[in-house]
Amino acid sequence: MDASAAVMNYPRRDARDKLSGRTRYTVDRSRPGMLHGAILRAQAAPARIVRLDVSAAEATPGVRAVITGRDAPGLHGIGVADQPLFAIDLIRHQAEPLAAVAADTMEIAKAALAAIRIETEPLPAAVTMEQALRPDAPLVHPDWTSYEVLFEGGGRSGNIAWEATVVRGDAEAAFSRPDVAIVESNFRIGRQNHLAFEPRAVIASYEDGRYHIETSTQVPWTVRNVTARVLQIPASSVRVTVPPVGGGFGLKFDCALEPFAALLARKSGRPVKLVNSRQEEMLTCLCRENAELRIRSAVTGDGEIVGREAVVLMDCGAYGGEQIFLTTMTAHTLLGNYRLGSVKLVSRAIYTHTAPNGAFRACNGVYNTFALERHTDEIAARIGMDPLAFRRRNVLGAGDLGATGQVFEGDALGPMLDRMAAVKASRPSRKAQAGRRLYGQATTVGTWFVFVGPSAATINLHSDGSASVITSGVEIGSGTMVQAVPQIVAAELGLRPEDVIVRAADTDAAGYDVGVGGGRTTVSLGAASRAAAIEVRRKLLAVASQMLQTPAEKLELRDGRIEIAGIRGSGTTIAKVAQRAQELLGPLSGVGAFTNSPVVSQPGCARGHFIEALEIPIFAVHDCEVAVEPETGHVEVLSYTVVQDVGRALNPRAIASQIQGGVAQGLGYALHEEITLDEQGRIRQTNLETYRVPLATDVVPVEIHLHEGAPSRGPLGAKGAGEVPILNVAATVGCAVARAIDRRVEQIPLTPPRVLAMILDKAPAVRLPHIAERWEDNVLPRPARKS
Amino acid sequence: MSISLTINGETHATNRDPLTPLVDVLRDDLALTGAKAVCREGFCGACTVLMDGQPVVSCLLPIASAAGRDIRTVEALSDGGELSPLQKALEQHDVVQCGMCFPGMTVALTSFLASNPNPTREQVKQSLVGNICRCTGYERIIDAVLAHAQAMQGGG
Repeated sequence: MDASAAVMNYPRRDARDKLSGRTRYTVDRSRPGMLHGAILRAQAAPARIVRLDVSAAEATPGVRAVITGRDAPGLHGIGVADQPLFAIDLIRHQAEPLAAVAADTMEIAKAALAAIRIETEPLPAAVTMEQALRPDAPLVHPDWTSYEVLFEGGGRSGNIAWEATVVRGDAEAAFSRPDVAIVESNFRIGRQNHLAFEPRAVIASYEDGRYHIETSTQVPWTVRNVTARVLQIPASSVRVTVPPVGGGFGLKFDCALEPFAALLARKSGRPVKLVNSRQEEMLTCLCRENAELRIRSAVTGDGEIVGREAVVLMDCGAYGGEQIFLTTMTAHTLLGNYRLGSVKLVSRAIYTHTAPNGAFRACNGVYNTFALERHTDEIAARIGMDPLAFRRRNVLGAGDLGATGQVFEGDALGPMLDRMAAVKASRPSRKAQAGRRLYGQATTVGTWFVFVGPSAATINLHSDGSASVITSGVEIGSGTMVQAVPQIVAAELGLRPEDVIVRAADTDAAGYDVGVGGGRTTVSLGAASRAAAIEVRRKLLAVASQMLQTPAEKLELRDGRIEIAGIRGSGTTIAKVAQRAQELLGPLSGVGAFTNSPVVSQPGCARGHFIEALEIPIFAVHDCEVAVEPETGHVEVLSYTVVQDVGRALNPRAIASQIQGGVAQGLGYALHEEITLDEQGRIRQTNLETYRVPLATDVVPVEIHLHEGAPSRGPLGAKGAGEVPILNVAATVGCAVARAIDRRVEQIPLTPPRVLAMILDKAPAVRLPHIAERWEDNVLPRPARKS
Repeated sequence: MSISLTINGETHATNRDPLTPLVDVLRDDLALTGAKAVCREGFCGACTVLMDGQPVVSCLLPIASAAGRDIRTVEALSDGGELSPLQKALEQHDVVQCGMCFPGMTVALTSFLASNPNPTREQVKQSLVGNICRCTGYERIIDAVLAHAQAMQGGG
């Protein structure tokens, strides 16, 4: 097949209904006899539950079901099963669920919650990671040793939920060399809220002995499996279907309200709808986590990085969740981008008495890239080298070793830096626009990846010449399920994309899928769909070959027809062949599957990592110019330019939309979005007034250049394009502001008060006393591993 | 006491509490779910409707204050299933992503363009400050609005 047949600016098929208000998201749906659910959430934490009496709620007229921790005994988690559905005995964070009700109306449900009697006893708190790491810190999970470990290899101890390390080469020797400069940087980062417009929402029912969960999620199979785990029921008794999702960004990459609704439906015998209020969304958002980092490098005078060591503390909140997995990604991001002679890294997920964090578009890659690129600028300044020249000299290219000893294929970052330089040389600087303000400019590099994993697809080719694709893919707004997937299938089958129907996710109908996130949708679901289409094509050609008395290899499929190669009008329509096939063999179908293939890292070098090497890395080069007002610290972005590695751009216009949107989210993170916690571990920003996301007047048009041709196992050489645009935005803005004001930028967001304090030298340097001076003192003692 | 609401040209009587936000009646009682109750505090604009031609956030509008006024929701913009010219422009420019903000944004822009048929880029940007979009980064929406305004001017 000619790959270019799949490349087009195919428009979205769901735009029409979305524009006219007719799309039914989960929040817009209802069912006959449906009840309204509500959750009682903890006001204060940590605390011991002395008494939880729901009898008055149960006795309230119109209340059909009340559930508590007794109804859901199972623990779930990623890496470690540490999380119950409801707080049982211990409340570990504010807004943790205590009980839930289903009632005829929302008013009755709320009244029933108010009737629940709860007595608690306050416990000593560990709200910050510094507090949690003290030797005498209260343990967030006193029973941590009893938990089931779901993935082996991580270090664990007390409030250290997970520890992953990378040791490669002789860093000690590198740092002792007489010819190196040693540069150390510290960073502290806050939380970011996704603010998906559709809150987490679900309607569940219990029919014929099975649960049907209709939900706003990115991960139907995780919902199925986690619901089964916490309810202690067979996973096969749970069916998950997913309507259009009103924004995810990683927030919905975990099971959320679904088990509550399922339990309430079972207990009441009625469908139950459960929707988070905006305040609940803010208090229980699975934020991009706050983090604290120290990074230290040994660099020679001519700019060779001979050693790098780092300690990264990631706040997972009260439960490990995604952060346990994300310790893995520090190696590939904070220690990514550049050739390193030797490496020592420890990445720790720390339990605190705060709301759990989660996954958010490019996850910790975003702040790790910020920290790495700022550190890189500090190195360049120290050795007196131009920061761009330093990057050009050190970026990973073909055959270079990554942090964990994987050998990278192909040159991407070098040519992408060259492309950015050419773009910048072709147009004037915006410096004049800064006027009397301080001007800064920076070019940064970033590395992220495709979270490949298993996907499945089935395609039915119908006798009318249309095809339907059945997968567990979800349309969250990125467009993959309405653009890339039908484009790929149509190209393979010689159809128009509009002839390809894409079924909404249903775990009863489609095979397992990791979920929509991690930049994997086009790659994994696209590849599985393509494999299914190839099987259909083979069967179709076999029948066409008979009909046209021509060998299959001399036939081609396009424009809804099968032709003898090179002779237009010589063949017949695909519909006629499909009809013939149906008569001869029965309806035509094909199945496809895809998963990751092993990529080698250096044995023995990474411990506690879920992924030791990147199968499909994605690279990005960003540039921005800023103007900083010296009297107020206000930062204006004057220009923003992206060169993004996309493998092959299947829908360039849709990719550009993802880049514009991802950069805007990154600008919010860099400049004004931050979730902060008070002394009791409570989230301060509970609505859109206190959590400020970018408005139309805050953004700039992003100049976009797509870099094609880097190697990818994705279908037709594609890579994920929607996740990575946010990756280096904080890095680029942070470096540009640091240069503009000639100060060390160690924190984001760069709000006017923070920038002004730096300009006035009133911003204290970030100090991390809970990170020990010697790298080894930040690592749990572990038995030596056999090599 | 019953309150009479005129919504998309039809009269509806409701016995709901007079302080009930209009968005709840639209969504829960009339199945007009185009208006989205995203923040319920008037910040996001996703529940914007037209009241006597002016954009208002229906989450902060008690039904008592809407009584007797002409309320138009996003559903009325594409009456008979035909998208309005503005909606068509947004569709053709492929600017929609998750779509949750677009009903409110389309309503607000429809009103803005009625009084500013030939706006500058800056004016379009300013007109959108009451409508938050978390997906798109706005610029392509603005491109589409400007192209649409230009086409309408050109077409007389």
